[in-house]
Amino acid sequence: MQFTIEVGRYNPEGRYADNAIPGEPFPAPWNRSPVRRYQTYTVDLPEHAVVLDALIEIREYQDQSLAVRCACRSAICGSCAMWINGHANLACKSKLQAFTKDGKTRVESPPSMPVIRDLVCDMAPFWEKHLAVKPWLQNKQPIPPPDEEYRVPNAAMEELIQEVSCISCGACLMDCESFAVNSEFLGPQALAQAYRYTGDPRDAETKERLGQYSESGGIWDCTHCYECVAQCPKGVAPLDQILKLRKLAVDAGFTNNAGTRHADAFAESVRDSGRLNELTLMPKSIGYFNVIEQLKVLPSAFNMLRAGKLPPLIHHKIPGLKRIKAIFERVGGRFK
Amino acid sequence: MKVAFYPGCVSKGACPELYVSATAIAEPLGLELHELTQAPCTGAGVLSEQNPELADALNGLTLAMAEAQDADLMTICSTCQGVLSNHNYHLQQDPGRMDRANATIADQGFRYGGTTKVKHLLWMLFEDIGIDRVAARIKRKLTGLKIAPFYGCYILRPVESLGLRERPERKTYLERLIALLGAEPVEYRGSTKCCGFPMLTFNRDKALAMGGNHIIEAKEKGADLLVTPCPLCHLNLDGQQPDAARVLKQEIDVPIFHLPQLLGLAFGLEPEQLRLNHHVVSTKGALEKIELKV
Amino acid sequence: MTRDHDVLVLGAGLAGMRAALEAARGGADVAIVTKVHPIRSHSSAAQGGINAAISEEDSWESHAFDTVKGSDYLADQDAVEIMAQEAPSDIIEFEHMGVIFYRGPDGKLGKRAFGGASLARTYFVGDITGQALLVTLYDQILKAGVKVYEEWFATELFMEGGACRGMVALEMITGELHLLRSKAVIVASGGLGRLYEPSTNALICTGDGYSLAYRAGAPLMDMEMVQYHPTTLAGSGFLMTEAARGEGAYLLNSEGERFMKRYAPNKMELAARDVTSRAEATEIAEGRGIDGNVLLDLRHLGPDVILKKLPQIHEMALDYLGIDMIKDPVPVRPGMHYQMGGIKTDVDGATSVPGLYAAGEVACVSVHGGNRLGANSLLDTIVFGRRSGKASAEYVKRTAASTGGEDLLASEQARLQELLQRPYTGDTPAGLRLELAVMMDKKVGLYRNEAGLREALAAIEGYKQRYARIAVGDKGRVFNQALEFVLELGYLLDCGEAIIRAALERKESRGAHTHTEHPDRNDAEWLKHVVLTHRGGREPEVSHVPVTITRWKPEVRTY
Repeated sequence: MQFTIEVGRYNPEGRYADNAIPGEPFPAPWNRSPVRRYQTYTVDLPEHAVVLDALIEIREYQDQSLAVRCACRSAICGSCAMWINGHANLACKSKLQAFTKDGKTRVESPPSMPVIRDLVCDMAPFWEKHLAVKPWLQNKQPIPPPDEEYRVPNAAMEELIQEVSCISCGACLMDCESFAVNSEFLGPQALAQAYRYTGDPRDAETKERLGQYSESGGIWDCTHCYECVAQCPKGVAPLDQILKLRKLAVDAGFTNNAGTRHADAFAESVRDSGRLNELTLMPKSIGYFNVIEQLKVLPSAFNMLRAGKLPPLIHHKIPGLKRIKAIFERVGGRFK
Repeated sequence: MKVAFYPGCVSKGACPELYVSATAIAEPLGLELHELTQAPCTGAGVLSEQNPELADALNGLTLAMAEAQDADLMTICSTCQGVLSNHNYHLQQDPGRMDRANATIADQGFRYGGTTKVKHLLWMLFEDIGIDRVAARIKRKLTGLKIAPFYGCYILRPVESLGLRERPERKTYLERLIALLGAEPVEYRGSTKCCGFPMLTFNRDKALAMGGNHIIEAKEKGADLLVTPCPLCHLNLDGQQPDAARVLKQEIDVPIFHLPQLLGLAFGLEPEQLRLNHHVVSTKGALEKIELKV
Repeated sequence: MTRDHDVLVLGAGLAGMRAALEAARGGADVAIVTKVHPIRSHSSAAQGGINAAISEEDSWESHAFDTVKGSDYLADQDAVEIMAQEAPSDIIEFEHMGVIFYRGPDGKLGKRAFGGASLARTYFVGDITGQALLVTLYDQILKAGVKVYEEWFATELFMEGGACRGMVALEMITGELHLLRSKAVIVASGGLGRLYEPSTNALICTGDGYSLAYRAGAPLMDMEMVQYHPTTLAGSGFLMTEAARGEGAYLLNSEGERFMKRYAPNKMELAARDVTSRAEATEIAEGRGIDGNVLLDLRHLGPDVILKKLPQIHEMALDYLGIDMIKDPVPVRPGMHYQMGGIKTDVDGATSVPGLYAAGEVACVSVHGGNRLGANSLLDTIVFGRRSGKASAEYVKRTAASTGGEDLLASEQARLQELLQRPYTGDTPAGLRLELAVMMDKKVGLYRNEAGLREALAAIEGYKQRYARIAVGDKGRVFNQALEFVLELGYLLDCGEAIIRAALERKESRGAHTHTEHPDRNDAEWLKHVVLTHRGGREPEVSHVPVTITRWKPEVRTY
């Protein structure tokens, strides 16, 4: 079967094939990489072939100058994450047929990461974030003697297989919306690994970790868009792990942050009226004493007021509110 | 067709134009709206994250209310859709969670049997009302407009609970609808991305940049307006747009329409009836393209 | 640019990183040189588990005996004893580092059955055991702050006064060639699977270390012993872990028969790998295969076992063949998987070249002899990785640093420059590699004979001549993979020749080496290792080394 592959080329030494067409610059925030050129190749492969098969075929028999990282070919080593039709994916796991759009498949280095050459991007931002969460066990003391393991329930270990299954391919970070606008954000992979150690019953520094992860750039900088869950080729579901960390952090008392105040204000509003009160959510989340941030919100509030878009000043309560109050009373926990 | 209508907090709060326009198009679409006035807020994912049991109970109550109406639950908000779908999915999958939720709402005289279908208006257009019926109601083609779809995360992800594994076509409804109404859909990356609203209260500038970037991208691709099925996206994309422009140091000025407003225009309703004059970013320029005034 | 360290480790898989960690603990200034990021190393592909006699009903003697028997009595028993004795504490150490091993009901480590073992002694994390060990070890390397030269490709070892004192390496990202000097080098660069097509191995398993060490004067041993894994996925050749059979999966022929009952009536599907692979090949040759495959049937295990304990292979069969193993059996066939032989070392990883150590698949201690047992390879990497790291750290304390090597850097620069300037000859490295690998599978695979091996040797000679003129299809500096592939092909050719010469030498059948003209094991004449020593442009010297027997006399091997 014939497949047409359009490959984003980048060569810092400036050499391109004659038939490479210049690409348009990416819009913000997908513009961390230089503008590249696209080169089209045609390959003949079996119908179930994956994108990586095509790239290897090109590199081996059509154009040896094509740079692409790959090793295992079976979604274990994590080398070949790249943009395929505008989304991060493993080339070895993406069937060409499923990714053929308008008769072709476009592959390129993700523009959210710096490019080195062709499909090879600089993964340094990824590994820096990984290192930043202290991804190693801080052993609970006493460490058992050398012939004895920690005694822990199997369920506690099995719960972490999901995070340990991470192959560090970086697909989640490459398509992370928060990272795109905020390079300080630790990102989905690192935070999933943060949970992997925080959630380990053998770790002694749960509280310190939760404190660190609650700081700026941490769990509250995630925009909760599920993009990482959709992109992860190994089912790690990083957002789910971030949400677990948020809950653990709040339970551990790390509540002096806008994220927690937001959750509290939200819960309070639902408890007391059955509905979200947009009017008080913003100031309560920012914190009433954070005057500078409060002032920043004022122009927007004014614009909305002028357009007749601000919620009524007297917040309605839903009929049958006592039901809601009773539910909060019963299972509201911290929000009672 | 009878539906249990769940308007969501925002359409009754900061986006009254959504409630007004949604109810205005019910009649032409043949929808008989039975509003769930006593249903609580979904918690918008915030409660699910901090207290899943509480969120199961609150959403279980809503689902039970719809079940009692013997009708599908219709949302007009991607976020409500996502959260309700998510809890519905987990309650149906996990008998333990269902039992706990039912134990909590039993005191209030409710029990959820697990049969409610949660459907956004956008899905109902294609799956229940029928796209032919929609087409038959068109009185004013939106020809000449280039419209960028903006889905909102929670109507797209996670795919399992939203049923997108079984129905991947749900990811294309906005584009198909725009074309059906006679306008040209704009293809751009941002259409499936996050508007930034979830971070707005605690990471304001980043949230504004996130939404602003998507609008600018759509604008550069020629969009006259964005249409969204999610009022929370609307709050960020329209309500905060002047501020986003300030953060990004770039003029934006692209109006954001709610899905029912776009349908309403095509069904021949007047802009004022759809409260298109109550937006932060003026809809005037876009409407002039189809020879309408506000 | 020149950099100096005490110890350089070539390769960042389990053996390499374990060696580096131990050398660092021993006070050495250690750095890792690796052509891929450590996490991309092929150790991550080891699925099923790691062996140790930890449970009360087990003993290290039993583990050692099973290993010796599995090796068809070619393993050196002193080395096997060390491995079996040190296995429990090495695995427990990884547990203390944070590996999320499967637990039994009492919260202690739980185990599964594996082939060739007299009882269940394989410890595991789902079917991602290698990955779980690798990521944990990598994180320990980060914690210890070990320097990693990431995406640096070694082109030559630096020899001075008969001792190994570092290497020259190409920094892929800049295209710059560097001299890395050290007092000791540990080669832990993994296997040579790309020499065979198909193979379960990654594209990066190109025999770099065998060739570099061999050319530097370290002999290679047991190179004829190339393992074919019984269950590799039809088509792609990806590995379907032995843990599937450990959990109870069946092997079926086209008649739906569990044919292993005719080959290994006691252990059935859990016979040693060489036995099982030959059984499958016989079934296929006698017409009871299905398109050149047999079937791996997991259906009776049920979704819970498959999804919880074997999720990765479930996903792979689904992704690459579209088969859901919960519902249907999976076509598999024997496929090249592992090289038992390698750089000859003592039990501390030392080679006969001063300052040169080796560990992991690239080394031959020899603990695997003629056939490696499943779940002993991960063990080999961590036991002998640790031991070589420790020994090298001791060695560097009594060794002076070198100040030379600039001439080697210059000559390597000239060599690569010459490579880059060659005109195109019609041969591509990929095409030549494929020819070589298909030939190896056909003539130096599961079954061998004299004529075939002679043909193979002649073929290699021809490939070498073509290789000597081959052009590099990319002239750039930054991330020039074409140059890397040409250099790798050179390594593969050295490995191929060594395997063929060793196979020609061994006139018996033992372990993975099945010589159809000498179908029986011949302990009287061949209870010994075949050793090859490089001699520049001349044919290598072939010699024999007796097998170390401590307590287990060779017996007839049945399962």
